[in-house]
Amino acid sequence: MVIAAVVPAQPRTGRGDILIRADRLRVRFGERWALDDLSFTVSAGEVVGILGPNGAGKTTTLFVLATLLRPTAGTATVAGHRVDTEAAAVRRLLGVVPQALAVYPTLTAAENARFFARLLGFRGRAAQAAAAQALAGVGLSERGDEIVSTFSGGMQRRLNLACGILHTPRVLLLDEPTVGVDPQSRQHILAAVRTQAAAGAAVLYSTHYLEEAERLCDRVVLIDHGRVVAAGPPAMLIREHGRGLRLQVITRAPLPCDWLDGIAGAHIIAGAQEGATDAVVAQVALDAPTVAPRVLERATTVGSDVLEFHLHRPDLQDVFMTLTGGELRD
Amino acid sequence: MRLLLVLLRKDLRLLWRDRAGLVFLTIAPIVVITVAGFSLATLYGASPSGQTAYDFPFVDEDHSQLSEAIRRRLEYDSVVHFHAVVDRAGAQRLVQDKRAGAALVVPRGTEAALRAGHQTALVLYTDPVKYLERLNVEIGLLRLQSALVSEQRARLREQFDAERTQLQTQLRALQAAADAAHARLEKAWAEAQMTRAALISTMRSRLERAQQETVSRISRQAAAVSAATTADIRRQMEDVIRPSRAYFASLTATRAAFESWLGDLQRLAGSHAADIPPPPRFPEVPEAVSELLGGAQPALHFPDLQLQVDFPAIALPDLAPLPELPELPSMTIALPPPPPPAAAFTIDEVNLSGGAVTVNTFDQNVPGFSVTFLLLGMLLGVSLGLLDERDWGTFDRIRAMPVTAAQVLIGKLLSRFVVGVVQMVALFVVGWLAFGISLGPQPWGLLLPTVGIVFAGTALGLIVAALATSREAVLPVGSMVIVTMAAVGGCWWPIDLEPQWMRTVALAFPTTWAMDAFNDLMIRRRPAMVALLPTAILLAYGVVYLTTGVLLFRRQLRHRA
Repeated sequence: MVIAAVVPAQPRTGRGDILIRADRLRVRFGERWALDDLSFTVSAGEVVGILGPNGAGKTTTLFVLATLLRPTAGTATVAGHRVDTEAAAVRRLLGVVPQALAVYPTLTAAENARFFARLLGFRGRAAQAAAAQALAGVGLSERGDEIVSTFSGGMQRRLNLACGILHTPRVLLLDEPTVGVDPQSRQHILAAVRTQAAAGAAVLYSTHYLEEAERLCDRVVLIDHGRVVAAGPPAMLIREHGRGLRLQVITRAPLPCDWLDGIAGAHIIAGAQEGATDAVVAQVALDAPTVAPRVLERATTVGSDVLEFHLHRPDLQDVFMTLTGGELRD
Repeated sequence: MRLLLVLLRKDLRLLWRDRAGLVFLTIAPIVVITVAGFSLATLYGASPSGQTAYDFPFVDEDHSQLSEAIRRRLEYDSVVHFHAVVDRAGAQRLVQDKRAGAALVVPRGTEAALRAGHQTALVLYTDPVKYLERLNVEIGLLRLQSALVSEQRARLREQFDAERTQLQTQLRALQAAADAAHARLEKAWAEAQMTRAALISTMRSRLERAQQETVSRISRQAAAVSAATTADIRRQMEDVIRPSRAYFASLTATRAAFESWLGDLQRLAGSHAADIPPPPRFPEVPEAVSELLGGAQPALHFPDLQLQVDFPAIALPDLAPLPELPELPSMTIALPPPPPPAAAFTIDEVNLSGGAVTVNTFDQNVPGFSVTFLLLGMLLGVSLGLLDERDWGTFDRIRAMPVTAAQVLIGKLLSRFVVGVVQMVALFVVGWLAFGISLGPQPWGLLLPTVGIVFAGTALGLIVAALATSREAVLPVGSMVIVTMAAVGGCWWPIDLEPQWMRTVALAFPTTWAMDAFNDLMIRRRPAMVALLPTAILLAYGVVYLTTGVLLFRRQLRHRA
């Protein structure tokens, strides 16, 4: 298949060129600021994860960039075009994969893809070719003629992605594209996103799956209350904001307060022992994984059966929880 | 335009895949039209095809020409389904069991009573609960009664005219015979008159002739007597005159001698002649004497004999005068003009549009329920369609593409508009094929209000979509609006059933104008031109709705954002 023949020509950009720029974006809904001085950039070929608790402003950010919402203040540009004043130019460059399954459930996958391809400017056989390519890219070639409502959640998510990458966009906005999908589909979706980035697209990826962001994203922007609370490569954020290596020990009976005395490199996390009628959970901070066997041995020695234990490496979730707190959000 | 077509194709494809929606747009209205059409058929009496006729028990106790005539008419009446019942009890049972709303009995002796000029009555058993059925049956029976009376009157008139014609013929023959007799009588009278006159004349002439002959004979005899007498006188006179004549001759000679002598004397006397005294003059002989003496016959003049013959009066036979012919009256016998009919009238109902007087119920129900389902379809199609797009996320996805919100909206409305027009046309075709509805004198004219109401309905759907924030809110809001519009606008029943104030209120609804146009075109069978004004009003409604809907929709988009 000759892709170049069916995809509208989009001027490609060199890797590293900033394609998405949010500069002190502010969006107000009534009395509440959904975005408050939000700034970040995404470069060509880069996958940037935008993370944050519910209501943090992720979707609002994507809406602004997708030209669906005008910012109250600040500017946002896509490939140099302002999203508020040059919406038409921006839309030609965008690929959007909404959080909702933004496909028609009573049409077939191919019909959906062809329809969106035609809206993107493809005509006739070119639209068919673009649709076929996108479906192939998400592993739906064989199911193109099936009605979407008969698809599994994962297949629908893949189709949702396919409809956003029909024209190999220069900028790809994804809003939680892997919600409720199985690992296989997730794998496929992430691979497809990587392919887009590899092709030079600037990808802004919103998700609640922090492990997924850690694996996929070159950088993450963690926002809360409409503000950036941390930004950078995942490893750096983990390093800077992660809570370290932890061991979770689940015992039949409560452990004494001094049960770790004498074990170097292991510290009880304050208030981390919580109990139930038949099991007690204790959280232990470790300096190194090699300390873990001794901790477990001590737990047994002090007279409590160890029912279960988990060694927890520091990750983005730690960063997330650290920076956004544990309180429930709306 | 290309994008609009793409959006249009997508929406049509979505609709095609929505089997429930298709059923709602096609099968549901047909089912409702069928059910409602048959259910409400009695509003107009019954369908002309007789599909909705009432079961109408009929009891004939009279077994007369009248009851037979009633039976025949009922059998062909589309309002009722004729159902002969043996006796009154059976008819009463059918009404009491609610199997019939009315039953008719022609009592024994009805026709005889009528023939005798007595007032009589048929019996109609009714169920007051079945008001419309009773009303329609009564109207039908009144029509039947009127028709029978008219028939009877026509028949009597015909019979009267025939008898009158026959009488006139007989009168003309009688008049001709009388005229002929009169002529003959006059001729005979004239001949008798002439004969009598001739007889009298003959008698008179004969009498006169006899008298004349008698007078003539007497005159001749008198003349002869006179002539003889004259001759005798003449002879006797001649005897007397002769000596006188000799003397007269001597005297004449003497006179001549004297005069000669005197002459001589006077000559002799010379100068003294003057002294001679004149001699005495001889007397002059009278001329008659001279003539008589000269030989002339003397004229004898006898006194006229006045013979007076007095005939005795001869009496002619006494002929009695002919009697005068009596004056015969004119034999022109003219029949008086026929008496005016008895005081009664019929009502000739005329549909001023030239169409049939009776109405096919489906002519009202097909457009009415089609408009209702059209509006419901628009409500569901446009508002739920837009809500679906919103809920699915496709609306936002499309808006993030090189497509404007207006194009998305127009595409959605355009697809629903096309579907609405096709739906209306299909329902009219089904109505025409299945229920024989009228498409009016210019079927294409139906497209005018169809386009108008589809446009208005489409735009109305946009308003509902903009007002209702969820699928759950669409049906209460939309159905309340549409049910009100349809009911008040005359979609479900003739608007004339509504009080005047409600009809005035109804002018504010597009359904009213659409139904007015459909009724004009289909029932009143007027030309397509009459639909122009309602169509223009419908389009104006559509423009207002569309403007309002777009403004509300934009506000909703802002709020959502």
